[in-house]
Amino acid sequence: MNKYGNPLFKLIRFGLIPLAIACSGLSNAKQNNNLLTPCYVDGLEDRLMCGSIEQPLSKKENNESIEIHFAVIPAIKETKPTEAVLAFAGGPGQSAIEVAAIFARNLRYARENRDIILVDQRGTGKSQLLQCDADSLEEQFAFNDQAVSLFKLAEEETEACKRKLKIDLSHFTTVAAASDFEAVRIALGYETLHLYGASYGTRIAQEYMRQYPNSVATAVLDGVVPMQQSLVAIGEAIDDSLDALFQRCAEDTTCKLQYPSLSSDYHELINKLQESPVKVSVRHPRTFEAIDLTLTESKLRGVIRMALYGHTSRALVPLVIDSAYKGNYIPLVGLLGNENTFGAIAMGMHSAITCGEDWPNLSKENRQEFSQSYFGRLMIESLDASCPLWQVKPVDPAFYQPLKTDTPVLLLSGGLDPATPPSWAELAMVAMGNAKHLVAPTATHGVASQTCANKIIGQFIDSASVEELNAECLNKDNTKQYFMNINGPVVSQSSSEEL
Amino acid sequence: MMNLIRILYKKEMLDASRDKRSVMAGLYYAIGAPIVMCLLFTVLLKQLSSPEALEITIENANGAPNLVRYLEGQDISHGESSGVKAITLVISEQYPVHMSEGKSAEVIIIADKSDNKLIKSVRRLEAALARYNSEVAGLRLISRGIDPSIMRAVSVQTQDQATPDSKGGMFLGIATLSIIIALFYSAMNLAIDTSAGERERNSLALLLSHPLSSTQIVLAKVAAIASYSMIGLVLVLVVSKFAYGMVPWEQLGFSINIDIMFILFCTLIGLPIALMSASLLVFVSFMAKSFKEAQSYVAFVLFVPIGLSMMTTYDIGTDYVQWIPIAAQQYAMIEVIKGNELPLLQVLLSSFSTLGLFAIFAALSSRMLKSEKVVFGL
Repeated sequence: MNKYGNPLFKLIRFGLIPLAIACSGLSNAKQNNNLLTPCYVDGLEDRLMCGSIEQPLSKKENNESIEIHFAVIPAIKETKPTEAVLAFAGGPGQSAIEVAAIFARNLRYARENRDIILVDQRGTGKSQLLQCDADSLEEQFAFNDQAVSLFKLAEEETEACKRKLKIDLSHFTTVAAASDFEAVRIALGYETLHLYGASYGTRIAQEYMRQYPNSVATAVLDGVVPMQQSLVAIGEAIDDSLDALFQRCAEDTTCKLQYPSLSSDYHELINKLQESPVKVSVRHPRTFEAIDLTLTESKLRGVIRMALYGHTSRALVPLVIDSAYKGNYIPLVGLLGNENTFGAIAMGMHSAITCGEDWPNLSKENRQEFSQSYFGRLMIESLDASCPLWQVKPVDPAFYQPLKTDTPVLLLSGGLDPATPPSWAELAMVAMGNAKHLVAPTATHGVASQTCANKIIGQFIDSASVEELNAECLNKDNTKQYFMNINGPVVSQSSSEEL
Repeated sequence: MMNLIRILYKKEMLDASRDKRSVMAGLYYAIGAPIVMCLLFTVLLKQLSSPEALEITIENANGAPNLVRYLEGQDISHGESSGVKAITLVISEQYPVHMSEGKSAEVIIIADKSDNKLIKSVRRLEAALARYNSEVAGLRLISRGIDPSIMRAVSVQTQDQATPDSKGGMFLGIATLSIIIALFYSAMNLAIDTSAGERERNSLALLLSHPLSSTQIVLAKVAAIASYSMIGLVLVLVVSKFAYGMVPWEQLGFSINIDIMFILFCTLIGLPIALMSASLLVFVSFMAKSFKEAQSYVAFVLFVPIGLSMMTTYDIGTDYVQWIPIAAQQYAMIEVIKGNELPLLQVLLSSFSTLGLFAIFAALSSRMLKSEKVVFGL
């Protein structure tokens, strides 16, 4: 019997051993797949998997619950089924799922082997959106904000929003939200996560690392908000970023020729508007109907500030300022009417964060320091008006301690960032044992979406080490030439008229 | 009766396993094919995908510094190294004048679009230029006080129902083709040896002189051959699992993932095919007068299943091809690997008809063994 069986047995065993190896490699069944249904988001063709879990609204009172929605962008080739990249959106108040297309691009290389999880933080997107009513474009254009006090305006807006939302914003702070992300990780069955946070998303990423250090394998913080830093400090970065723009124009021969006194024109224009806003009739940027525009200092500064976020819109800033100074407000109207590309900000959730975390710790010195810039003053005043009404419980002072961790952390900053300058990242990493800070000198806010940093992020996540990252390519100049006239970055050539 | 078949089966297996070299030669296909296939795929993928840093020739780059820098941001740059692709981007002399006057500034792409190695790179350049075009056009509208979103009269959102596992296309077809063929190739020489070979060694007559029916002999032989086919199938699946895992599919945005469920599924639907293939091979071998002749016939006959499989691979058959044995099973394999729903009816029906073919070939073979002409190869 054995005599016959042996050769066959050998052959079968020869085939079965690799099979057994194959089995063992795959048997670690993951993911609770009944949670997920296929879904799509704007701007991304790929099929995502969406789902939601129920979470208690408050850890103390157990009566109410909140649905936390999430989406999974599936890995191209899932060689690491137990790991995923968790991406945190900025704002605060942005929906991570809505900007899935941006995350998919920023995390392109990381996605080759790992799923990407996007969670709508409580108060944003589909997770009980806390949005206040906003004025229509016509109302915003016509409104003269200089005729009323900012304080009073902020109070009125807050009251209206409070009546609409009817909810205690204390349940929507960074500390409260962190446990939702952990619950999603457990529900989806991932063992460890690689974090990617952008802008405010870096704050919630750091808080998540603090609360659940064992769930995190690596973290990428892109446009870093240190735990010690108040968002109110942003004003200085805005001024620096605009100054850098003026300086670059002054150093460029053609720009200098075309716009010789850009910086002084801008300040002169602001002085003029401070004295009296300009009232003009303009065309609606979409309907082309005649509408009123009351140009005030805050509108001018606000629109220029938003344009500083990306190189495409930065290219227009000299032209917009120059035209407005000369009394042509049309380019400015275009910039004002350009649909916000950053995704809508949930203002209720935004207030929960700023009033709970950025307002309570404003010391006298802070106030003095931040008030040196226009936007610092603006933010302090509106927070002073709205926060007493919202009554968000101030966060525990331990929250402001720098994050202490030995997890590998990669920090990314843009040298021209009008929100989170490189110095903020240095501040964030004081207590990190295994961190590296990379600066892309010409990048603005969100380095991964403008530079080769998406490649570096992929490398970093694969190696889980900040050593040996090749960051050479971050030095590539990614700025765009400024528009010299309304047609493009080329000076009008008088020679063409000879033809 | 069953006992006799079992004893005979053991005899056949022992016979086969004694000639280890020829058994292994049959199984080499199962081990070698996926590895060779994966090496080919890896080379092919490299050619199909555009290199990360794409180098082309840009003429008159000074005419459009902003455009050139934009392309550099997309990793497309002017190069003079050996890796430069045969694509030339010519920026017209009039570019700066036309740009500043709001006329369309001309750039020319010169490339051979029939060259498969270039096509991805050309498309990438075209896409980058289209993006630059809409970026500048958008800024032109803004500087005229108009929201550029009005240019998107219709916002087209494509919802692609494919998953990374289902985008493999032709590669999936070739991969499953190589798996199905293993069933036929792994036991081919064994099938010839055990029928035509046995006859040539004059042991077939000896076997028939025992108190056995010719059906029993055929069934035992078929079972032994099918066993080797199945070993070949399992081997090819396991080797494929590891080999395909190494291919950098993600460069083209998809993956071919052979998991344990797929291996089990293939083993299950492979069983009827193995029986059918064994009975077919035995039948053809007995038809031939000599060993050598049998080899030629078998090689020829194997074109039929391979052809059927090809029809699925290259998706040339109409819907009814999906119901024909082998083509249907391969279609089901592709659906399972894509993560789609299993076409159960097709699988069941084609498996039954495969078993039907097995019965026919087995019956024909056993009838042939009753003829002296066949037994003695006259």
